[in-house]
Amino acid sequence: MYPFNFEYHKASSVSEAISLLNQHDGAKVLAGGHSLIPAMKLRLSDPGVLIDIGKIDDLHGINASKGAVTIGGLTTHSDLAASIVVPIGLSETAGTVGDQQVRNRGTIGGSVVHADPAADLPTMLVALRASFHISGPTGNRTVSAEDFFTGMFETDLEDGEILTAVEVADEQSGTGSAYSKLFNPASGYAMVGVAAVVTVASGKCTEASVVLGGLTPSVMVASSVADSLVGVKLEETSIAAAAEAVQNDLGSDVLGDIHASADYRRAMAPVYVRRAVAAAVERAG
Amino acid sequence: MSVAVGTVVEGMDAHNKVTGQSLFPGDLARPDMLHMKILFAGQPHARMDSMNTSAARSHPGVVSVFTAADVPVNEYGLIKADQPVLVGIGSNKTGGSVARFVGDQVALVVAETEEAAAEACGLIKVDWFNLPVITDPFESMKSDAPLLLPGQDTNIAKHNRLRKGDVRTVWNQCGSIVECVYETPRQEHAYLQPEAGLAYIDKDGIVTVEVAGQWAHEEQRQIAHVLGIPLDRVRVRHPAIGGAFGGREDISVQIVLALAVWRLAEQGILRPVKIVWSREESFLGHHKRHPYTIRAKWGANDQGKILAAEVELVADAGAYEYTSTKVLGNATMQCTGPYDIPNVSVDAYAVYTNNVPSGAFRGFGGPQGAFAAESQVNRLASDLGLDAVEMRRRNLLMDGSLGSFNMPMPEGVTIRQVVDACAHQARWTNKSYASPLSNHLRRGRGFACAMKNVGFSFGFPEECWAKIELHGSTEIERILLFHAGADCGQGAHTVLSQMAADACQVPLERVELRAADTSTSKNSGSASASRMTFMAGNSILGAAEVALHQWRSEERPAIGEYRFVPRQTTSLDDETGQCDPNISYGYVAQVVDVEVDTETGHVQVMDVVCADDVGLAINPQQVEGQIEGAIVQAHGYTILENFILRDGYVETPYFSNYLIPTSLDVPDSVEMVILENADPQGPWGARGMA
Ligand SMILES: Cc1cc2nc3c(=O)[nH]c(=O)nc-3n(C[C@H](O)[C@H](O)[C@H](O)COP(=O)(O)OP(=O)(O)OC[C@H]3O[C@@H](n4cnc5c(N)ncnc54)[C@H](O)[C@@H]3O)c2cc1C
Repeated sequence: MYPFNFEYHKASSVSEAISLLNQHDGAKVLAGGHSLIPAMKLRLSDPGVLIDIGKIDDLHGINASKGAVTIGGLTTHSDLAASIVVPIGLSETAGTVGDQQVRNRGTIGGSVVHADPAADLPTMLVALRASFHISGPTGNRTVSAEDFFTGMFETDLEDGEILTAVEVADEQSGTGSAYSKLFNPASGYAMVGVAAVVTVASGKCTEASVVLGGLTPSVMVASSVADSLVGVKLEETSIAAAAEAVQNDLGSDVLGDIHASADYRRAMAPVYVRRAVAAAVERAG
Repeated sequence: MSVAVGTVVEGMDAHNKVTGQSLFPGDLARPDMLHMKILFAGQPHARMDSMNTSAARSHPGVVSVFTAADVPVNEYGLIKADQPVLVGIGSNKTGGSVARFVGDQVALVVAETEEAAAEACGLIKVDWFNLPVITDPFESMKSDAPLLLPGQDTNIAKHNRLRKGDVRTVWNQCGSIVECVYETPRQEHAYLQPEAGLAYIDKDGIVTVEVAGQWAHEEQRQIAHVLGIPLDRVRVRHPAIGGAFGGREDISVQIVLALAVWRLAEQGILRPVKIVWSREESFLGHHKRHPYTIRAKWGANDQGKILAAEVELVADAGAYEYTSTKVLGNATMQCTGPYDIPNVSVDAYAVYTNNVPSGAFRGFGGPQGAFAAESQVNRLASDLGLDAVEMRRRNLLMDGSLGSFNMPMPEGVTIRQVVDACAHQARWTNKSYASPLSNHLRRGRGFACAMKNVGFSFGFPEECWAKIELHGSTEIERILLFHAGADCGQGAHTVLSQMAADACQVPLERVELRAADTSTSKNSGSASASRMTFMAGNSILGAAEVALHQWRSEERPAIGEYRFVPRQTTSLDDETGQCDPNISYGYVAQVVDVEVDTETGHVQVMDVVCADDVGLAINPQQVEGQIEGAIVQAHGYTILENFILRDGYVETPYFSNYLIPTSLDVPDSVEMVILENADPQGPWGARGMA
């Protein structure tokens, strides 16, 4: 279908984008357009006004300094996948998004703001304890990834605000990150997506962060799994045992559709937790 | 000497299709044409109590609205005319106001634009009275089930019964008995070109329909029947056809297009009418592959000789007959495989429900039966500790074997050669082993073989017509070949031209084909049942012989017309099923390697080796295309596709939720072995191709 008619504005700076957003009721930011345009074509979304932020230089680029990596909101999935400065689990995650065309257009900012429960990046960013930099009419603020995602397609972002950058810590030696997913056979979205970040010292796990996507209406921190990993010598059997704990983290509200029922996703959760954790442990060295 | 047969020549449609010049039905346009949209019932089982079309009629741009009351003879169907053209009030057929599946058609809106027609469809108000919806064929078979079609005392459309030997007497001689229930799913044809067509009344007053179909003369017949006009007042022409696979054997838009232009002409409106179905309309508007439940009990002695096969098959026919009764025949045949089994008992049922009708789909019931048969043999082999190929060798049919219909097989049974060639090419062993990549991935391989009928079965009348005109003076400068056969993308027209060139011994470039038009050709039968190469080839040989005779008698142009009629098959005996079911067969065997993720259940097809005896590959490249395409379609059928009907409603009407294989899913290549053991009845020895 064709979308409903809309007005189109191009912003050349963050402040211009913010003022345009605030001048037009119901206006939406256009980044890669790979979630917004399909929704408009299906006429599920009718913003009336689009503010294109694609040409704002400040929102592009990945910069590493002083133990942190700052990723501009317009960084594409392809750029992220090719980056050697971001944690390996993050580039791995970006490399699993959709297909090459989608990765060439879609952006990290668009992905997190859209907050699709089946999206990949949110899961990994919560696991990496990333923080999101936001600019709005009243100034700038920073919010943790975990607090940012508030529900299905719902975030902490207020009307009129723009996500300018995502910040993650450098990956230290002894820490490994990995992502494992059950692909939706049509789109590549996660039906089960598991991000694991594990730190190992003298053979034992000292810190673990495991996060689930695709299974529940919003990203879910699998603290039971993490708790079962910490303090333990990580080998096949202990990882498998910890992975089973994921059932304690999953509430009753598991998503299902014609491609994968809720029961199947639930049954697959420990499999992908195990795979993600095992890969992260291997990378932790 | 062969001048054009048995060699690869470029498909005559290839260039135009690749460059976008071919006109598919959706590309057709005429000045001043109108656009049509169909209102579908959207009800799995309901009686229309009232319908109000006045808002639709007065909607801007709407030219006319047609309903059941406008249909002269409101019934159609390929085998049985059991479906109303339009369901509704004023239908002149019993039960004509009852919708029996969601895709029954209710009203036609003709307007200046497609948009206006679609909007007006939405303005038609219908009051339905819900009737009990039956979606399970086993429920429908029960004697107390509500009857779904008028004039019938059962919902069983057909029961085939085979009795050969006596299975009851041999179970105790069996070293192994395997019992299992197999369920095979519905499948959508998923051709890229959704149903579309253009109709108009030509300058001679003939109702002309340009549409994608598989059998122009049958479409012509059904249109004439509904309009109540003589055959020669109707013309059907097939432009480029974007795939069919059996999905265009039954009528989709042909009759309603003809009806619209015919009724408009009565109102003095002589304008062409075009329709293009959306993907969603296509998915719910045409039939699907039959889902089957097959209960099989087979027994073999310790030496691996199969002694008995007892099989019960239940097919969900959906709302109307379509080709269900014939598809059932093929499943009845294939469910005991290409094996010589002395004791056979088969009961096969096709049963009406309120699901989307089932009908022809590549293999025509064969794949369902073969799936059960081949699984049974593999289980027996593993139970007896025998190799799966060796087990087959001990049971395969040969020339002179009786087959499950208790009549000798037509000469030229080559299943043994095919099985051997396939096993050899695949360096057959059936060990399973862990993948080198990861220990939760395991690899294994399987073997299967089957036979496929060539031509209509079970006594259905067969014929195929061709006409050849030889032009020139001292030498033949140009051949005109007239033939009605449909090229659905399988390359039929290229192959027909090659055969004409060869039959007349002139270069292929001199052949000009006038195809797929009821105004220039007589009946060639349908492009289905693996019959077109075989039947058309024989008709072309016959026409060429007559034409060449005329040529030698100095006739210019020399014209040869020929109607080929193959040997007559017979229908099943009511009690025992004994019959001579098919004219001839092609044979196939396959080895497939798969990798299974034992933790998630995902199956990846790794390698495929496929051996087919085609008798003679008239154009080897087209044969390879058919084999590769069929394997991809089978791959989707087996592993990926999932057509979901819930309570009669289609839940997967889009390519985004009905997933067919893409290049990322299929193996990189298929190893093909094309055998050419001549069929004694085939033209140039060819068996079926498409
Ligand atoms: C075929 C296909 C397959 C896909 N497969 C996957 C997959 O496997 N995994 C996956 O995770 N995703 C997948 N996606 C989604 C893809 O990753 C999108 O690119 C992403 O979700 C949105 O990014 P975008 O830049 O395209 O955002 P847009 O579509 O432009 O915007 C999305 C939303 O975010 C808002 N927005 C965008 N940027 C900002 C910003 N900087 N500040 C404030 N608001 C902003 C927009 O206003 C809009 O509401 C797929 C998409 C398609 C079309």
